[in-house]
Amino acid sequence: MKKVAWQAIVLVVIFFGTWFVLSKVNWMNIFKIEQLTDNLEEKLGNLFWDIFNKTDEELNTPDITNALDSLLTKICISNNIDKSKVKLHVLKKDEINAFTLPDRHLVIFSKLIAEAENEAELCGVICHELAHMELDHVMKKLVKEIGLSVLVSMTTGSGGSDAAAEAARLLSSTAYDRTMEREADIKAIDYMIQADIKPEPFADFLYKLADDKSGIERHLSWVNTHPDTRERAEYIVEYCRDKIKHNEPILSDKSWNSLKESLNY
Amino acid sequence: MNAIRNFAYKPGDHEAEKASNSYLMSLIAVMAGLPLPIINLVATLIFYLGNRKGTYFVRWHCTQALFSQLSLVLMNSFAFWWSVSILFGPESLNNSYIAYIFTVFVFNVSEFIGTIISAIYTRRGMHVEWWFFGNLTNLICKA
Repeated sequence: MKKVAWQAIVLVVIFFGTWFVLSKVNWMNIFKIEQLTDNLEEKLGNLFWDIFNKTDEELNTPDITNALDSLLTKICISNNIDKSKVKLHVLKKDEINAFTLPDRHLVIFSKLIAEAENEAELCGVICHELAHMELDHVMKKLVKEIGLSVLVSMTTGSGGSDAAAEAARLLSSTAYDRTMEREADIKAIDYMIQADIKPEPFADFLYKLADDKSGIERHLSWVNTHPDTRERAEYIVEYCRDKIKHNEPILSDKSWNSLKESLNY
Repeated sequence: MNAIRNFAYKPGDHEAEKASNSYLMSLIAVMAGLPLPIINLVATLIFYLGNRKGTYFVRWHCTQALFSQLSLVLMNSFAFWWSVSILFGPESLNNSYIAYIFTVFVFNVSEFIGTIISAIYTRRGMHVEWWFFGNLTNLICKA
């Protein structure tokens, strides 16, 4: 019995010892995993963005790009996010929607900006999408719903354009799972507080969309793709209740008004 | 790791074949059941239960095969669920995970080779005792 116990201990030690020694090797570097992942994401990001760019008009006027760039810069600097890697696009579309594509493409539809009553509401949505990026939800969702092999085949051109279009549709019009959405919401609140933006307007924006759902439901993709909007608004309010908050406007009233006017709604 | 020892009696050809099959069963199940880690254990367990009332030689080798599979199932299950949580959950790929997969791979290959050797020798009527698993089987499986 004693011999067996000793052998069991030796076996366990050999197993964990092997694991410990092997974990000291930098496999990520040896297999260039980060580089491979980045390449895959870059190719997928470009592929999906091309699909949207072909069908919808991108708004590039200085009023829009400067205003959104200011908001994004403030959020990124305050939260140590590399802003140079975020590719922000505004598409002219009558849907209240915003989503993230691989390789840090952040797409916002013009109608969503038009519906936001103040910059904090818009910042809430931007922070939420940035959180999806930072938490690597985009690739996880794609792998889960489509499969890694199909994604790789898309980047080599053998996956077919239909598959790519379907994947792009998946990212823009279906929700992440409940856990991911909650993670992104909570992280978005942290980003907002860190950037001296009051988080309550983000919850207000969600309440407003939830209340107004019947009237403009067909345009509310961001609500439809993010279920339980009211519940989300409630836990956002709950989460930020005890946080110390400052509110420093990023855009001047003039810039905010110019942004809204240039959308032509 | 594997040692050929004298058994309590000389097994007949029919016994040797059945005992050898207990190892073959786990090999085939591993090949058919990958990446699910439980298949080989289930296959070996079914074979073990089917031979509970077999001769001592057959029972002994079925038990040793079962124990060896049990340890693999623990390692492989952890590897399986870790992989799932990387692909679909919050975990991300890192050095510890890759090291663990390599470790599990090394143990699986060692086990695989050991199982093939055991199947061959047992078929010839030789008694193969594995390091640790052989002694554990001696404790539990009595004549």
